Amino acid sequence: MSNLLGKGMIDGLVVTAKNFVTSYFDGNRKDRLFTYQYPEERMKLPENSRTFPFLVYDGTPDQMRCTACKVCETECPPQCIYIVMERDANGKPLLRPRVFDIDISVCMQCGICAEVCPTNAIKMDCDFERSAHGRFETLLSHLPELLKSNDYYHQIKSAEATRVDATRKPVKKAAAPAPVKPMPTPADILTEDERSAWQRGCQSEIGTGPIVWPPPVVVKKKVAGTNTEQNVSAAPLPTGTPWHDSGIDIAARMELAKDRSLADKLMAAMAQLDCQACGYDCRGYADALASGTNSDFTLCTPGEEETKNMLEKLLKEAGKL
Amino acid sequence: MSATGIIQTQTLEVSLGPQHPSTHGVFRMDVVLDGEYVVKLKPVMGYLHRNHEQLAEKMTWLGSMPYTDRLDYFCSMTNNWAYALAVEKMTGLKVPERAEYIRVIMAELTRLLNHSCAIGFLLSDCGAWFTPVLYALREREWILDFFETVSGARMMCNYMRFGGVRVDLDDASLAMARNIVARWPAFLDEFEKLMTENEVLLARTQRVGILSRNLAINASVSGPVARASGVEYDIRKVDKYGVYDRFDFGVPVGEAGDTFDRYMIRILEMREAVKILEQALRDIPAGPFIAPEAKLRNFKVPAGDGYGRIEAPKGELGFYLVSEGGAKPYRYHVRPPSFINLTILEDMCLGQKVADTVIILGSVDIVLGEVDR
Repeated sequence: MSNLLGKGMIDGLVVTAKNFVTSYFDGNRKDRLFTYQYPEERMKLPENSRTFPFLVYDGTPDQMRCTACKVCETECPPQCIYIVMERDANGKPLLRPRVFDIDISVCMQCGICAEVCPTNAIKMDCDFERSAHGRFETLLSHLPELLKSNDYYHQIKSAEATRVDATRKPVKKAAAPAPVKPMPTPADILTEDERSAWQRGCQSEIGTGPIVWPPPVVVKKKVAGTNTEQNVSAAPLPTGTPWHDSGIDIAARMELAKDRSLADKLMAAMAQLDCQACGYDCRGYADALASGTNSDFTLCTPGEEETKNMLEKLLKEAGKL
Repeated sequence: MSATGIIQTQTLEVSLGPQHPSTHGVFRMDVVLDGEYVVKLKPVMGYLHRNHEQLAEKMTWLGSMPYTDRLDYFCSMTNNWAYALAVEKMTGLKVPERAEYIRVIMAELTRLLNHSCAIGFLLSDCGAWFTPVLYALREREWILDFFETVSGARMMCNYMRFGGVRVDLDDASLAMARNIVARWPAFLDEFEKLMTENEVLLARTQRVGILSRNLAINASVSGPVARASGVEYDIRKVDKYGVYDRFDFGVPVGEAGDTFDRYMIRILEMREAVKILEQALRDIPAGPFIAPEAKLRNFKVPAGDGYGRIEAPKGELGFYLVSEGGAKPYRYHVRPPSFINLTILEDMCLGQKVADTVIILGSVDIVLGEVDR
């Protein structure tokens, strides 16, 4: 404690004066000034920095990595992702999303979607210039604008992208039929019903009635012999598979399937996401394993260890390994 | 004029806040004044309530992690840690040694960041219009840059994971952290020269807002506020969670329990945090940064309950979780230090002048994101 009244204040003023003067003469500019002249001068963001998610494609936008497995949709904390699987005319699921929407106004940039993605399809962008006029349509990112090339990914996050490339298996999806039609625009891929159903889900109608989430998939199907199109509900899930629910844990699923055939038991061991990370849906992969057309039981990535171990056990019990 | 010759005045009720910069957020104090003296004070909370606990019960275990960032938005790293610690207690996940060191580094940097801003804003409340805060913010920027480099975000870090951390610290970021730690003592010296012996500060803060030791204990006040009142209680020493038993550091304790002690205790704690950081950055071992058995998807917690608590910069931050064995918590409760420390606000303010309530509130160091949840 100083004896002279006012010395403390004068000491403080000396500090401010020193800072005031030296800030003009400091050679190491970055050490003292943090300001960037923004529109002219841009800060180099660190590689880890994240803003909003985008989808990576290899080569052309048709070869997107996303398999519409909906893991990100399930895990997204604020529920801002909406995915509808692409299906062919017979209702058979294809390996890519028909609708992939991210509501930027809801997204909180946590990056969990990129962490949980089993196919390295969704990654976090560094683009922060997303201001828009309007709160609704302009802040809703659809599939075409979400898709960005692997080259872009390398540009913004080179180390991470190189790491991802090294872990990726050779592109399996080359075998899938390449779509011949051009990339759909949001207007023609989302029907009126779907749009309104989704908006109901996003808005605060909670309490006025059950919301079907996700909305039932409707497939346009040509009626044989005529030229008209008719909405046909996609094939419902087989009624005989009560375990087909990713919310049930594996022990309970196996319990539900305990008296069933080997194929059913194998299916109950899957993650029940129909994510097609293995190349099939859960039913198809179980059938392929049971019939022996595919003997690799390690393909169910979302199920992780527990599925792998259970499949191994079941196949061993059945004498298939 | 009464018979005794003293002017009879009426008490006056004044509403401080909720939209007032001195309340550090949307917080209201209903103050009843007799002349200039406070005779009653009622804290009114809830303006920032966002259903955090209920939301977490509808979300996966991992899904709540980014929401914990938003509790005390200055200290997202320690919030992450407290939540991860509670879940790790329930699942029995072992955290690798390197991850424990990284967590200590992040938590102590968060302490530096929080305390420097807390005392900066406290001085603003005292009337030092923003100059001390700018000194604090200048240094805080180094830490935020470091957090962005490592975790990807300046404030909403979302960095800890069950069983470790999300991203490893590479050599470049470790060098960055060492640089921050190396310059911090110089900053503290400069800051103390700027303010600590300032006569106006001393006059405004000494013997103002005294919190007695007994009341601090009885009201379960924690953190710097309790230690300023002479309660020698630091969960880093009591629980020795993580690897805190390996570091040599002291716990500063105040005597008077007044506003000046709460200011000074934060400076002393920063000096101790620098000691911990120096040791952690020196000893950090190589190895995995997340437990190999930790998983993100289909994460389930065995049925049961658990309470994880850490010494957050503001006090004891605890998460009480109940699981039914599923993918979501059955019950999720946060024990926020800011909220509990606010309960003694009236006791500290009674008999003080109305201008002092603002300083006393500033010295408690609250963040409304955590008070209201």
